Amino acid sequence: MNEIALSEEQRDCLQELINVAMGRASDKLARYLDTFVHLQVPHIDLIASESLPSSFAESYADDGVSLVSQGFYGEDGILGEALLIYRSNDAQGIAEILGYEPDDVSEVEQLTDISSILTTTFLNGLAEQIENQLAYSAPRVVSALETALESHLHQLSFNWDLALKVDISYQVTDYSFNCDMILLIPGEAIQNIQKVLDRILNEF
Amino acid sequence: MSIPVLICDDSTLARKQVKKSLPADWDVTTQFATNGREAVDILRQEKFAVLFLDLTMPELDGIGVLEINKAEKLVDFVIVVSADIQPEMQQKVTELGALAFIQKPVNTNKLSEILQQYGLL
Repeated sequence: MNEIALSEEQRDCLQELINVAMGRASDKLARYLDTFVHLQVPHIDLIASESLPSSFAESYADDGVSLVSQGFYGEDGILGEALLIYRSNDAQGIAEILGYEPDDVSEVEQLTDISSILTTTFLNGLAEQIENQLAYSAPRVVSALETALESHLHQLSFNWDLALKVDISYQVTDYSFNCDMILLIPGEAIQNIQKVLDRILNEF
Repeated sequence: MSIPVLICDDSTLARKQVKKSLPADWDVTTQFATNGREAVDILRQEKFAVLFLDLTMPELDGIGVLEINKAEKLVDFVIVVSADIQPEMQQKVTELGALAFIQKPVNTNKLSEILQQYGLL
């Protein structure tokens, strides 16, 4: 494993960038659903690829979860994956929130709708602050089936040893609907994001 | 005489961003608070003309500071500088007596406009 660590200043800087990006995503969701999204302080960590599946299992052991996974890549070697995770109970509530009739659209489409609002707004907000242009891959929906989730996580962690992991929680209070966003910035992209953070820190 | 200004945010970067975006010709002395609790303690001891206030903070959040300020009238001008820009939040801070709401990251022109509007500049 490489010796990578974020300095205190880098962590503070990244957290502030994430705060602003998640603030924008929440605002978009709040306006879309005409509700209020409760914001919490994001959690930033470094994670080894082999512990990704077990850290997932720990957080979501008792709940079936569905997730929408979307890759992003930009200039200067900035890239990563944004995961939106829904507990199955909440996923069922999404149709109600969006005002869909039963059988109107599939659960997959509903998850993709919410995810595109949150992920795109979040990543655009992040890109703007770091003066980067991000491109996105098509979102992939991974169903609540345990085997599908596990193989997706293995596939995600295939190319790297260590990733920067940011945990963000969106809580829609009116509808008691929660979803978590996990941002994974793997391998060399960590050093590339560190350079960006240093550049921003030098401006202030 | 320079105007005493308190900047309250748990992020070092955000505090510096606010300080740097203050108009160059505005004669101020700035002080920092790293959370709401610290801000209240400072405000109870010293008189400040303007408070720049973040919302999402540990110990005591921005809403908590506004509630205390409403009861104790510690500082007249509170400008909220927040990443949480939801309509409901903007309404809430206005009801609690905040003068203005600025979206993060702070825009220098927008800040000058607000300061001029309230005769602070």
